[in-house]
Amino acid sequence: MGAWTVLQERQAMLLDPAIRDWVLIPIMIVMVLVGVVRHQVTVLLNGTPKKADLKSARETKALQRGAILRAYGTHLPEHAFQARKVYLSEAFEKGTYLKDPNAGSKPKQNVMQDPAYVETMMDGMKKNMMNIIPQTVIMGWINFFFSGFVLIKLPFPLTIRFKSMLQRGIETNDMDVTWVSSLSWYFLNLFGLQSVFTLILGSGHAADAMRDMQAMSTMGMGAAAGPQMGPTGQPQDMQKIFLGEKENLELTEHEWGLDNVETRLLVKYGKKPRSVLVDYKKSKALAAAASSASHASSQAAAITASAAAGGSGRKKGKRQA
Amino acid sequence: MSAQQINPDDALYVDMFIAKNSQTMTFIRSSYSAILGLAAGTLGLTNLSGFIFYFLGSAFLSVLIFVLKTKASPALYFRQPLDVFTEGVLGGLFSYILFWTLLYGIIHVYD
Repeated sequence: MGAWTVLQERQAMLLDPAIRDWVLIPIMIVMVLVGVVRHQVTVLLNGTPKKADLKSARETKALQRGAILRAYGTHLPEHAFQARKVYLSEAFEKGTYLKDPNAGSKPKQNVMQDPAYVETMMDGMKKNMMNIIPQTVIMGWINFFFSGFVLIKLPFPLTIRFKSMLQRGIETNDMDVTWVSSLSWYFLNLFGLQSVFTLILGSGHAADAMRDMQAMSTMGMGAAAGPQMGPTGQPQDMQKIFLGEKENLELTEHEWGLDNVETRLLVKYGKKPRSVLVDYKKSKALAAAASSASHASSQAAAITASAAAGGSGRKKGKRQA
Repeated sequence: MSAQQINPDDALYVDMFIAKNSQTMTFIRSSYSAILGLAAGTLGLTNLSGFIFYFLGSAFLSVLIFVLKTKASPALYFRQPLDVFTEGVLGGLFSYILFWTLLYGIIHVYD
């Protein structure tokens, strides 16, 4: 019975319907509209994506090629894999695909004088500003006009720690934490409207509050994350990246996808016990250890035999929902 | 071997389709959690019952997606088959709370 009276007591606060009509609903509508406008402005500002020039495209594609070879090498027969591996390693080492093969010898110039770098940085700044300004303006608007009264009651309880944050400007010691001011309604909207934006604007929209938070935290660092900018904003040394990729390639061992395939098929359909595969793996490991000494010479022979073997691994498409 | 061990099964999935599928999931989940919030607010649920309502509701939705959309074989559509049950559930919670609060406020606080 006691709990019931407490509940009644909590409910016994009447809010003026004018607050609902002129604060609660307008804030929500304004936030939705601002999100839509921001999305459109971002689309406008981005314009058509800048085309990368041939050399830098080649640079990144070469890296991708290495990664793809490492990932899907199982679809290639051994000789083809080895040929590609040797070819790519050599190209990486010599820097055939580098945008500017002589960059290593030149002394580093000041990045601020590089017009491309400055441009990407300005772009990032512009986007960051687009994210931050609307939220700051709305928050200021709410703080200025709608502070100092209770706006709504949350349907779930919060701990007392939230009181100072959610009831800012109300200064009533005994009021329950669930009665909150308009600033909390703003925050609820900020996070909760994400799905509404997804419905209105389609996914991948630019009205993303999570990104705002990120933008605020990285503000001032000139977080223009172009493809060749490191986390510090310095252009990276592609030579070093290429050498790293080469090392990765050399560590990759080839495993032919059709190896032992008939046994795997039989195991898959339950004609043979699963332990057959395990035994096979063990015996293979032993054989590999034994032949590792003579491996190098046979490898070289395989490469010369197959400079340009075709048949890249094709992806099988899975259905779409 | 290298540190980046790559799962060979990844080659079986087309990234574009995977992205499209999870987009579809996000779309379903966001509209559903908003509607669920409206329902909870109208019913006047408070405290724990509201959250239980949400999780029961999304479990129901997961079962619907599992049975109707993926025809009980989610591995065809997602890298992790269990994504059908988990993806977007916590993300939808925010919009659920928003609409729950809105309708609860309009109906049960402002008379």
